[in-house]
Amino acid sequence: MLGKFLIYIAFAVSVLSIISFLLVHFKQEKYLKFGRIFYYAGAFSVIGASAFMLYNILSHQFQYTYVWEQSNRELGLPLLISTFYAGQEGSFMLWTFMTAVIGIFLMRYLGKGDRLEPQVMSVYSLVLAFLAFILILKSPFNYVWDSFPGEVEYGFIPPDGRGLNPLLQNFWMSIHPPTLFVGFSSMAVPFCFAIGTLMKNRYKDWIGFAMPWLLFSGGILGLGIMMGGYWAYGVLGWGGYWAWDPVENSSFIPWLIIVAAIHTMVAQKRTGGYIKTNLILCIIAYLLVLYSTFLTRSGVLGDSSVHSFVDPGQEVYLSLIVFISLFILIAIFAFVFRIKTLKKYAPENKKLLTRENALFVGSLTLCAAAVIILAGTSWPIIAKGSIDAEFYNRMNLPVAILIAFINGISLLLKWKTSSDEKFIQGLFFPLILAVIVTIGLVLVGVQDFLFALFALAALFAFFVNIEIAVRLFKKQRDNIGAYIAHVGLALVFLGIIASAKYSKEENLTLELNKPVNAFGYTMTYVGASPFEDANNKTDTKYHFNILLEKDGKEMVLQPVMYYSAFSQGVMKNPDIANFATKDLYISPMGLVEPETFAQEDLHEFKKGEVKQVGDLSVEFVDFDFGNMQKGGEEIQSGNFEMGAILKVKDSKFTENILTKIKYTDGNPEYYEAKMTGNDNYSFYFTKMAIKGEEEGGPAGTFAIVDNRVKKEHDEHQVTEEALVITASIKPFINILWAGTIILVAGFFISIIRRRKEIL
Amino acid sequence: MNGKAKYIIGGIIILAFLVVGFMSFMDSKIEYVDFAEAQNRLKTVEVKGYWLKDKETKFDGNTNTFSFYMRDDHNNEMKVIFDGAKPNNFEVAEAVVVKGKVKDGCFMAKDILTKCPSKYEAHPDEIKKSQL
Repeated sequence: MLGKFLIYIAFAVSVLSIISFLLVHFKQEKYLKFGRIFYYAGAFSVIGASAFMLYNILSHQFQYTYVWEQSNRELGLPLLISTFYAGQEGSFMLWTFMTAVIGIFLMRYLGKGDRLEPQVMSVYSLVLAFLAFILILKSPFNYVWDSFPGEVEYGFIPPDGRGLNPLLQNFWMSIHPPTLFVGFSSMAVPFCFAIGTLMKNRYKDWIGFAMPWLLFSGGILGLGIMMGGYWAYGVLGWGGYWAWDPVENSSFIPWLIIVAAIHTMVAQKRTGGYIKTNLILCIIAYLLVLYSTFLTRSGVLGDSSVHSFVDPGQEVYLSLIVFISLFILIAIFAFVFRIKTLKKYAPENKKLLTRENALFVGSLTLCAAAVIILAGTSWPIIAKGSIDAEFYNRMNLPVAILIAFINGISLLLKWKTSSDEKFIQGLFFPLILAVIVTIGLVLVGVQDFLFALFALAALFAFFVNIEIAVRLFKKQRDNIGAYIAHVGLALVFLGIIASAKYSKEENLTLELNKPVNAFGYTMTYVGASPFEDANNKTDTKYHFNILLEKDGKEMVLQPVMYYSAFSQGVMKNPDIANFATKDLYISPMGLVEPETFAQEDLHEFKKGEVKQVGDLSVEFVDFDFGNMQKGGEEIQSGNFEMGAILKVKDSKFTENILTKIKYTDGNPEYYEAKMTGNDNYSFYFTKMAIKGEEEGGPAGTFAIVDNRVKKEHDEHQVTEEALVITASIKPFINILWAGTIILVAGFFISIIRRRKEIL
Repeated sequence: MNGKAKYIIGGIIILAFLVVGFMSFMDSKIEYVDFAEAQNRLKTVEVKGYWLKDKETKFDGNTNTFSFYMRDDHNNEMKVIFDGAKPNNFEVAEAVVVKGKVKDGCFMAKDILTKCPSKYEAHPDEIKKSQL
């Protein structure tokens, strides 16, 4: 009850907090302290509920449906913690938790001066109230007997839980969702600033206050997206890091918008323009976060994503729609209400080639990318069908080229004024360098025109930013963040060019102990070995060992496959050999198990059934259990021998023969049986199906081999055990990962500068 | 350059972007159809259906293709040849969605999506079992 109670409290006091802050906004200053107290009360109720939920998980309180559904006793501590957000209810809880915590920092930040506290906090409390409301509808604190009324008796505590989806049983999965949720939650802050400043009808200083928060959102969301990419690459074995999957897209779209907003806000700070643009971008960014939650939680994309979706139920679906619609209405209302004041701020810049114009065009281009991705991702809602991932690649390539060029150009331009000569002077060196390197790249193989152009643009941006960064490092170290982020972006682009366009891939079938050559390596599948995973004791996992040889050096790669009891299917993890200039990436695709008998020699029989096989007539009479018991302990143990009687008739004689099969630890061994005086055929008992017998289906399978037909292989073995893999070479993928890290680091370095500016 | 020209140029660029985007979009649309319809299409389509367990299902190590028979919602049957190994969860999938084109009477799939909604959904039977 405690958990639910805390959520109710959180909802109620958040509503009170909205009212109090609104009263302060309408000049009732004395309510400020109530607003703050109510917000703290709401936030700490949410934190308390989260702590209680974590306690329930860690102490295995399986009477809670959520805990029972998502965890079990075998999970280790890190994975146990990640069950907190493995399911829908938990991920809403995590989102609410992050929002509550960020709000505490936000309120303290706003209180340090005249920083729009009542306005921003009234909107922020509304956000918290809404999230708490969703948690009331979709509670992680339901008991099993409430979730399944009539089917589970009151007070029953299941002895163990169902366990965690194996896809989530991984290091990256325990940090990637929380990071994304910090990003999602923090996106509410720019939204609240925009609405708050419209309430206050003051459009200048909010830019400065909001800037560090936007940088934080952009940095942390970027980090979360990048971790998702690394997870897809290193664990899921997609072979790539980005597949334009709806879930990836829906976190990428708000990121593009917030990055666009950061740029036009810098322009407003310097020139006073772009006021409406900034308000709109900050509002839209959070609306897109909500929309993406709607997309990925409502089940509408079930057909077009590798992520799994569970229908969250009508109430959540509706409340998300209400949530989004309400925020859109608030924003429209605020704009209409302030339209007179907003119209007063007309653009005043006259020159075309100025940094602010370039920044604006750059932001517009980022928005174009967002529109492209949004259109493709939303398509399944509108029509029955999906959008080919190629669409995103094709459309975003020119957009990315533009972004890189504009990035370089904008930094060579000056604010407000434009001096064509200086601009061209500045252009000279970076462009020459970029052209030289691009020519080099074309010579080594980048011969697709658009990709060469992309490389040129990325290199141009790279050299422009590196030059500025080096200069600033000596003089104004504080201002270096933006250039570092840009250098990172340029590297990401170069990494994309190399790994997306110039990676090579081959499907290989590696027969046991037979070396195969690919990409200059000798690969030999040397067999599988089981290993224990401390985090997953339920399933036995197998390493499929592949010996790699090149120039006398050896290494072993161990992609993993195992049967997961949880998802009732085979799970596969790739293995990667990292080299300085490339990755050798091996995805296991499947195992071809050895077949002892050729398919055409196998015959299924019902009991008493007679079949014509070659020139014989064969009847399956019955099993011979010897002195064993049917279904008894020996059979269960996997160590036993049993027989089956066949009645065989050739042209002359009729004979009952006994065929036998022996199991050692579940592994079969077949005994050959023959007719007396007829060497033409060998009989093997290969499979029994007691259940099939009971259901009137096939009960036994027999191999009846015609010895007069010449066999390709020795004995009866027709295929060897073989591992099927997809091997690929990913050139310079390290540049991509380094670029993403540098890009994210740039955001955080910028926060320091922007915080200093407002103090 | 005055303000008007700026807007005109900007407008043209945005319009061009929209036109190119729209054309490319229409080109990339992948429709859901059944096998009968898929035969008349030249473009890549998606077909949802069910794996026919009792018909031949095999992986060919030489061509690296996985083939099986599938029946769609309108009871059309077709052999599906997938360029790759058997996907995860193939056996337990409630339904499969194949993406590709029909060629020589077979559906050449470049992608298979297995749909297993039930596997993540809890069922009270699982608790009942532990109650006994």
